[in-house]
Amino acid sequence: MTRPISRRTALAGLGLAAASAGCLGRAENIAGRDPHSQLTLEINTTPADDDPSGIRIARQLEEHLTAVGIDVQLNAVGQTELWRKVLINQDFDIYVGQFVETEPFDPDALYGLTHSKFIAESGWQNPFGFTEISVDDLLERQRRVTGTERSDVVGSLQETLCRLQPFSVVAFPDALTAVREDRFDGWTEDRQPLSVAGLLELDAVASDDDSGTVASDGDSGTVSSDGDSGTVASDGDSGTVSSDDDSGTTGSADGSATTAAAGTGSEGEDVLRLVTTDDRITENWNPIAAEYRKHGTFTGLLYDPLVRADGEAVIPWLAADWERIDHDTLDVSLRDARWHDGEPVTASDVAFTYRFLRDTSLGNVETPVPTPRFRGRSSIVEDERVLDDATVRLTVADVNETVAARALQVPILPEHVWSARTDAATIAGFELDFETTEAVVSNNPDPVGSGPLRFVAATAGESVVFERNPDHFLVRPAPETDPEASGETGSGAATDPRAGIPSQYHGKPAFDRLRIEVLPSDISAVESVADGVADATAANLGPASVPRIGRSPDTRLVSGRSAAFYHVGYNVRRSPLSNPRFRAVIARLIDKSAVVDDAFDGYARAAASPLAATPDAVPASLAWTDGTDPVYPFFDDEGSLDVAAAREAFRDAGYRFDDEGRLLSRGQ
Amino acid sequence: MTPFLSLLASIVAWVGTMLAVASVAVIGPARLRDAWTGLRARLWDARRAAGTLGAVLLASAIGRSSLQAVSELFGLQATALIYGLEGGFVAWVQSTFATPVLTAYFSWVYVYGYAFLLAFPVVAYLALPRTTTLRRVLVAYALNYAIGLALYTAVFAYGPRNVMPDMVTPLLFTNRPDVMLLASEVNVNTNVFPSLHTSLSVTVGTFAVLTREEYPRWTPVAVWLSLSVVVATMYLGIHWLTDVVAGFALAFGCVALAHRFVDPRNDAVEPSGDASGERPGSEAAADA
Repeated sequence: MTRPISRRTALAGLGLAAASAGCLGRAENIAGRDPHSQLTLEINTTPADDDPSGIRIARQLEEHLTAVGIDVQLNAVGQTELWRKVLINQDFDIYVGQFVETEPFDPDALYGLTHSKFIAESGWQNPFGFTEISVDDLLERQRRVTGTERSDVVGSLQETLCRLQPFSVVAFPDALTAVREDRFDGWTEDRQPLSVAGLLELDAVASDDDSGTVASDGDSGTVSSDGDSGTVASDGDSGTVSSDDDSGTTGSADGSATTAAAGTGSEGEDVLRLVTTDDRITENWNPIAAEYRKHGTFTGLLYDPLVRADGEAVIPWLAADWERIDHDTLDVSLRDARWHDGEPVTASDVAFTYRFLRDTSLGNVETPVPTPRFRGRSSIVEDERVLDDATVRLTVADVNETVAARALQVPILPEHVWSARTDAATIAGFELDFETTEAVVSNNPDPVGSGPLRFVAATAGESVVFERNPDHFLVRPAPETDPEASGETGSGAATDPRAGIPSQYHGKPAFDRLRIEVLPSDISAVESVADGVADATAANLGPASVPRIGRSPDTRLVSGRSAAFYHVGYNVRRSPLSNPRFRAVIARLIDKSAVVDDAFDGYARAAASPLAATPDAVPASLAWTDGTDPVYPFFDDEGSLDVAAAREAFRDAGYRFDDEGRLLSRGQ
Repeated sequence: MTPFLSLLASIVAWVGTMLAVASVAVIGPARLRDAWTGLRARLWDARRAAGTLGAVLLASAIGRSSLQAVSELFGLQATALIYGLEGGFVAWVQSTFATPVLTAYFSWVYVYGYAFLLAFPVVAYLALPRTTTLRRVLVAYALNYAIGLALYTAVFAYGPRNVMPDMVTPLLFTNRPDVMLLASEVNVNTNVFPSLHTSLSVTVGTFAVLTREEYPRWTPVAVWLSLSVVVATMYLGIHWLTDVVAGFALAFGCVALAHRFVDPRNDAVEPSGDASGERPGSEAAADA
């Protein structure tokens, strides 16, 4: 072959060629062709300060992609910016990140993640732009069928997804947490310690005041003060003031609480002090803002769902009970509960929530603006009707019990707050074409939920303080709140405000306040626990911080398997990532075992399926055995990348290289 | 915050001690005594330069967080660009030279040496009979901070320790976690381009060379310390080589601008008094 001539040379020769009659057509045919150039891919992930592990996966992938002849731009961006890029603007090639759920999740979580019906939406629903009819069919089927039939469907769903690789699962990390147990104990070991359930299960170590008395204080005084402050705070700005009011009132009105409130300065109260590297919770408390939520742990304590998944069980939470009336309908009855501003939680709030998650504009914007989080779950509910103040009827088209219960795991939002946020988002009064609503972009200042914690104050980028909601059903014993039940007949299940809730959550949380402070890195987070300035870390800890935990006598390492798997996500809207064969070769460039050994120092488990943390969900064909991926094994050449084999795989898939070994593609 | 305050106290103690030693060794007891007279006049004379520096520092302290948000949204996302440009240079520096002794030295230089390096010129040049150099140094500091802040806003990038954690150890922060707390109070991890540690150190080093006639003992110390700070920024995995090169450019630019803005002839114009306007010739020589 002759040496290829650059396009510019060809164009320069065009005039010459034109002189020779007859050749013009041919020259035009050549010069009119677009040249091939080296393929460039951008990998986005968060910097080591934000997450010590993700960047390591990205680095390995970068090295291996570079080795096979792809030009890689490794881009470290902050967490908010990363998810804004990936989830909202979908302006990325490849990203490395963590899945949102930390507890082992039902296979239906894949519905939101990969169903093609969400292709045009922004958020955690199908961020890859993946469209595959066979996957859609399987996703729909697993919602309907039950038992072994569902297991089979879920099995083939995983096999199809693993074959097509819209994203490559890398590893399920151990959520490492440094804790000290002199003030709080009961840190869970079998799952992520810093989860909603994990924080609620904590017990205060009895030292001076017994927190049990505080938890069970008489509520009547507090309720009335809540009502007062509700009217004050309803304009939105005086959250801090109103909560301060509250603690003052609680102290004076309740005899039993005075012990705790006496030292409100800080020492007398049981304050759980957490340290994190993630500052997003100090400036945004919007439960549906995808780019500001990691796992939604703290917003999960501000906002109650109807039911909560608790291990393999589902426990009624804001719902007192729910009943499947027929194939299509589900009746939910609510507990007696109040919003943090004193308004009652009603069935109409629940109906509003589902309507709102479907379209946060409630019809105010021409095209619906669905929620960027909880989209898979909320899409199960097709219609909702208020039967009475405490009962709502949901239409859930022919889904199985498991999936129906998942529909009830979205945060219930107060209609009187969020109905004012359904207009198109504006900047300084100008409505720009962002196709979004105020509700999605709002930081949700002074959040009004119904959860066991309520907001107190925050300094953006530095810290945030929450306090126990004294009116929550977890801390409200039956006999005392019910004025008629003067005789101690609180054993009746119908009157017990905590009916159906496991005893470990009764009277919880065990802390009066939760203070989260932002620190620059995982190492400083561990140090502050070791110094006794904090009780636990809420950040992703790198393995380098583990020996530091060991060196401190009062600090203990608690770790539990997290379901929030690390993965490499591909934007399959873009060529050549749109080609499943191309993605398959990329998947084989990821040495998952090496990632687990080096980046996680063994504190993770490599996996092929996104459901590897879900019990009994992974079919034998996808089980991780012998240290290799069952579907797309790493191009292994005694521990390093077998470049020749990888290039051969690219060639087999139809890709070409220039004589310098660069992988070619059409100009992107 | 106790670890934070104890670190601050130790910095004050170190810098105070070094300033005292250097004042005696470099300026000399005789000149120090002489400097006492007319001190107030010279301070008054330098008030505008000092005010400028104070204003810049204040503006930076107040506006930094909002500028940071602007930078994240609209700044040039340069991490990939810088990393693509220089690759693993910083990793190579660490893997080639890192020893516990050097790590201890550079950690010390990065925190204590740097603080001393910036503080001493103010004392030394205040002791000179004429305030031209003092005012130039203060203006150069102000320019460094002002231009640095503008570049921080325009360019959004993370340093090598954040991008290559497998190859670049955050040596400073693993050895001195308390320093990280201090650093995060003063700066954020996305402000890497340019390296202000480099530019301010090189600024001091340049002034030390320019004033070698006045303080011949200071020049080698300042040059050694400032180059140590420059190396430390990369050795400790905090800055890219690109940041350091930009820091040099910023430093030389600021020194040149400071000479341009602060003219020795201004001394005569200002109604400050006796010390100024007497020997314009010698100052012009130092200027060259």
